Amino acid sequence: MIRFKTLILVLLTVLSTSILASEETYQFETDAQSALFFELTKELRCPMCQNQNIADSDAMIAADLRRKVYQLVNEGQSREQIIDYMKQRYGDFVYYQPPVNATTVWLWLLPAFFVCFGIVFVVRSRQQKPVSQDETKLQAAEKLLEEDK
Amino acid sequence: MRKISLFVLPLILFAGLAIFLFQGLFSNPREHESTLLNKPVPSFVLPDLMNTDLTYTTEVFVGNVTLLNVWGVWCVTCAVEIPFLEQLKNEGKHIVGLYYDQDIDPDFGIKTVERVQQEVEQKLGQLGDPYAYNIFDVKRDLSLDLGVTGAPETFLIDKQGKVRLHHIGDINPRVWQNKFESVYQELIAE
Repeated sequence: MIRFKTLILVLLTVLSTSILASEETYQFETDAQSALFFELTKELRCPMCQNQNIADSDAMIAADLRRKVYQLVNEGQSREQIIDYMKQRYGDFVYYQPPVNATTVWLWLLPAFFVCFGIVFVVRSRQQKPVSQDETKLQAAEKLLEEDK
Repeated sequence: MRKISLFVLPLILFAGLAIFLFQGLFSNPREHESTLLNKPVPSFVLPDLMNTDLTYTTEVFVGNVTLLNVWGVWCVTCAVEIPFLEQLKNEGKHIVGLYYDQDIDPDFGIKTVERVQQEVEQKLGQLGDPYAYNIFDVKRDLSLDLGVTGAPETFLIDKQGKVRLHHIGDINPRVWQNKFESVYQELIAE
């Protein structure tokens, strides 16, 4: 029984290393380059799978983009150069930080607008005077109270 | 006045939101405008898939209206699309394949070219062959330069070698009718 367990353990170990081996490993000359690579693969968006960055995605295109980022980083290109390279091919879509232009400016304006609107609304409702007393209604109420006595 | 605005304002907000969300029902999240539109095909030097001694450059697109179809035997939708592409070819359209293989790792290629050729021959033997020839995108570099996200994708290229249309997904009679037909006729007439 113990032998059997050992066998399973050995098999599992063997299997797990082979899975590890299939992962890509990229080697960098400097720590700065490696940091840039990890930063960029987190900020670049996979064009195929929408809501994943290329570091997380298993799509082939993401693997190709990672390889390209690695290549460009190793060539000594700067962060901006690499982002531009990707944008030239896959559009603004590929980078998670959208540029400010006529269509996207609403992303910043609308929340600001709502906050302003909310502040104005709250301030106004606080300033409102208590409902003015209607003399005739008061008298009618007094009368009803009198009748109840 | 106050009462009216209390009624109308939420109504306007609701209507705006409804229109926004309604449009979302019909938009394709995978579709985004190609950055290459009206620009020349990025330069490349790549071999022919079946005869690797033969090389192609952007020159091959000059003088012809070309449908450049990105595909691979591993791609299921491509297999669905190929019979329709063959029909287009029989109507006289010039279709060029941009072939890339999934199993070739650009850094440690594990598949031989002969094996790829064999698979392609078998596949096209079954489905029919719509391609005038296939450009072999060995390291998938041209695909990356073209902004390809997967297969199938199709580019409509004019006689000057400029990209005029980029379609993500398969081409079927409906897509051809709605998206390609009019542009294609225009380019032919140019």
